[in-house]
Amino acid sequence: MAAVKETIDTVAELERYKYGFTSEVEQEFAPKGLSPDIVRFISEKKGEPEWMLEWRLAAYERWLAMEEPTWAAVKYAPVDYQDLYYYAAPKKKDGPKSLDEVDPELLEIYAKLGIPLKEQEVLAGVQGAPRVAVDAVFDSVSVVTTFKEELAKAGVIFMPISEALREYPDLVRQYLGSVVPVSDNYFAALNSAVFSDGSFVYVPPGVRCPMELSTYFRINASQTGQFERTLIICDKGSYVSYLEGCTAPMRDENQLHAAVVEIVALDDAEVKYSTVQNWYPGDSEGKGGIYNFVTKRADCRGDRSKVSWTQVETGSAVTWKYPSCILKGEDSSGEFYSIAITNGHQQADTGTKMIHLGKNSKSRIIAKAVSAGKSDSTYRGLVSVHPKASGVRNFTQCDSLLIGKECGSHTIPYIEAKNGSAQMEHEATTTRLSEDQLFYAQQRGLSEEEAVALLVNGFVRDVLQELPMEFAVEAQKLVAISLEGSVG
Amino acid sequence: MSASAQLNLLDPTTYPSRRVEAWKYSDLARVLRDAPQVSPTANVGTAGAFDDIADTVVVFANGQSDEASFTAAGKQTLALRFVSDATGTAHSARYDVRVPAGSSVTVVESYEGAGSAYASHVRLTYVVEAGGFLTRIVVADDVADAVSIVDAEITLAAGGKLAQTVVSTGAKLQRIETRLAHYADGADARLDGVYVLNGSRHVDLTTVVDHLAANGTTSQLSKGVARDTSRGVFQGKIIVERGADGTDARMGHHALIAGERAEIDAKPELIIYADDVQCAHGNTVGTLDESALFYMQSRGITEDEARALLTTAFLGEVVDRIEREDIRERVDQWLTDRL
Repeated sequence: MAAVKETIDTVAELERYKYGFTSEVEQEFAPKGLSPDIVRFISEKKGEPEWMLEWRLAAYERWLAMEEPTWAAVKYAPVDYQDLYYYAAPKKKDGPKSLDEVDPELLEIYAKLGIPLKEQEVLAGVQGAPRVAVDAVFDSVSVVTTFKEELAKAGVIFMPISEALREYPDLVRQYLGSVVPVSDNYFAALNSAVFSDGSFVYVPPGVRCPMELSTYFRINASQTGQFERTLIICDKGSYVSYLEGCTAPMRDENQLHAAVVEIVALDDAEVKYSTVQNWYPGDSEGKGGIYNFVTKRADCRGDRSKVSWTQVETGSAVTWKYPSCILKGEDSSGEFYSIAITNGHQQADTGTKMIHLGKNSKSRIIAKAVSAGKSDSTYRGLVSVHPKASGVRNFTQCDSLLIGKECGSHTIPYIEAKNGSAQMEHEATTTRLSEDQLFYAQQRGLSEEEAVALLVNGFVRDVLQELPMEFAVEAQKLVAISLEGSVG
Repeated sequence: MSASAQLNLLDPTTYPSRRVEAWKYSDLARVLRDAPQVSPTANVGTAGAFDDIADTVVVFANGQSDEASFTAAGKQTLALRFVSDATGTAHSARYDVRVPAGSSVTVVESYEGAGSAYASHVRLTYVVEAGGFLTRIVVADDVADAVSIVDAEITLAAGGKLAQTVVSTGAKLQRIETRLAHYADGADARLDGVYVLNGSRHVDLTTVVDHLAANGTTSQLSKGVARDTSRGVFQGKIIVERGADGTDARMGHHALIAGERAEIDAKPELIIYADDVQCAHGNTVGTLDESALFYMQSRGITEDEARALLTTAFLGEVVDRIEREDIRERVDQWLTDRL
């Protein structure tokens, strides 16, 4: 009987990560490994201007001279950078003019992912239903971007960055690498050399982007790294809300995802960036899963600019990610709301940096970590106030919840105040789920798992509230799914 | 081995720089570039501030002493005077204290500086056995251009008790590090700190508390004020090892910046591997409440007096946690004199 139960459990486990399918899409690969030739290959594939190729090659040179960082509280098998494909694209003849021309196999994948790709579906929906423009990135290339025309009417540019490099080279050149310089860190340098696609957003002055913008990232091919690059520029007085989701198939190898996201907010601009990160976390033995080594940074350049990061991190085998804000503008403000859930053998080292350079800049950090199984979760964050930044306010709250005896949860904040008028508050707590609350919920007829999901959802509620509606529902479900099997 | 344990003032290759994470905010390699000469012997003529309440007084003059260890018996007070009287030279000292079951010892370590630009390194080990009670008071009064490093390794056996208070005025670079191996099971530790910094002084209060077994408690409260261009550093790490369930650990650090160019750096860490725990830390950095200052001035108190009063009240919370009244009063006076 034990064997039967084991089988049932194994099957149930397989179903847990529902995005773990692979798709038989015809792929085009660059040869494995990394060299100047591969960098040239990618640049040529994208039909990039000469300066871009030079930029990439310089990044490659810098990367060669750098060492992989080891300070994060994560352990993982070393990445063989020469054993990866740096470019994989679904084969296509010409760029699709409309959705009808997109490989139906691809559309099927996105249907499986629950992405509202087809405009008509959305338009046919209830009147006044929120509409979302989507840029879908499949392995190394962006396959489809919706609602482009309507956005264009409002003056909003939303397109794959490879396309933006051809159509708006000056705009890209002005801002690319201005927030995350090429030599910022090892993974950012690697990304700069080999990034193949990602999203580009430009919101002109005074424009409130008429709909949510969204990108879905999907790693499909095996032995492939994904290096996407996102650049969002919010001009004076504009506003955009940007959503990002990601999934990958289940493979017993570790795949590398090293993205760079740069946000520029000018005077009075506001950017809301929300992520639901659900990369494949590896199996219950800790085999496989995505290495998620991501650099995300916002530059609040303008006075009264505001950037808000919200992230729900449930996937990946190893996460190394610190969405940050450089608060240069006077009265600028940065926010970071995070839920990090680790289970199984997952490891997450995540947090934020709030660099206060501008007078009266404000920041707020709410980070909730839930660790279960044999996982480890670390909040690592920096709040620094520079000498000329007077009147700075910061509030930080980090709460950790432990479920089980074999997991770990760590809080490592750095607080640096160099101005006498700064007011900074930081508080952190680590506890486990309350036995009383669990008992009460079960006494009312909930199963133990349901009770845990309910309590955890309560624990992370402060952050869930910050998510746009479409994401909040998904995230709530994800919280429950991620913790399946963590009790009993 | 940690950088602190390897440190040898006579060997510059052992000086940790800011690239060493645990010394990130106290770059010894930058402050002390070359190996200093060994300090000459010195005579200590004056009496210590705590001699009259001590049963035993041990004097280290530029690191030199006849005594190397102490084993407590019953209820005792030990005064350890580390007197530096040197110019541009370096000295180090070691001392071991054992607190057996049933004994209760108060150790007052005073760091007394004369001369200038000396470098002092004191390494202490304390072993508190089951049922032993150690009260450790550290009063650090180094000269402004000194480098002073105090490094204590404390082992707290199950059922032991530790109450520690560090008060300091900093130095060019002063680091007071305490590493506690907490064997819990009813053992209780309190590790507090107070600093008052003027000029360009620098203090680094570092604690590492490692909960190695179940049911231990730790309570930490540190407060400080940084004026002028001084820099206060607080690093507090609480580790709860696998199996150390029932741990209750709390840490607070609160600092006032009282100078436009003063700096506070804090790194409170929780490293937790057990789930049935209650751990928390809080950290605040700010200035004195303007409305309280205004109110006091409107009642006829001068601004300086009002500031001193509010600062004393702010720091007093830590001093109030010292159990022995005679020592509490002296520490309170010591601080008041320096505000």
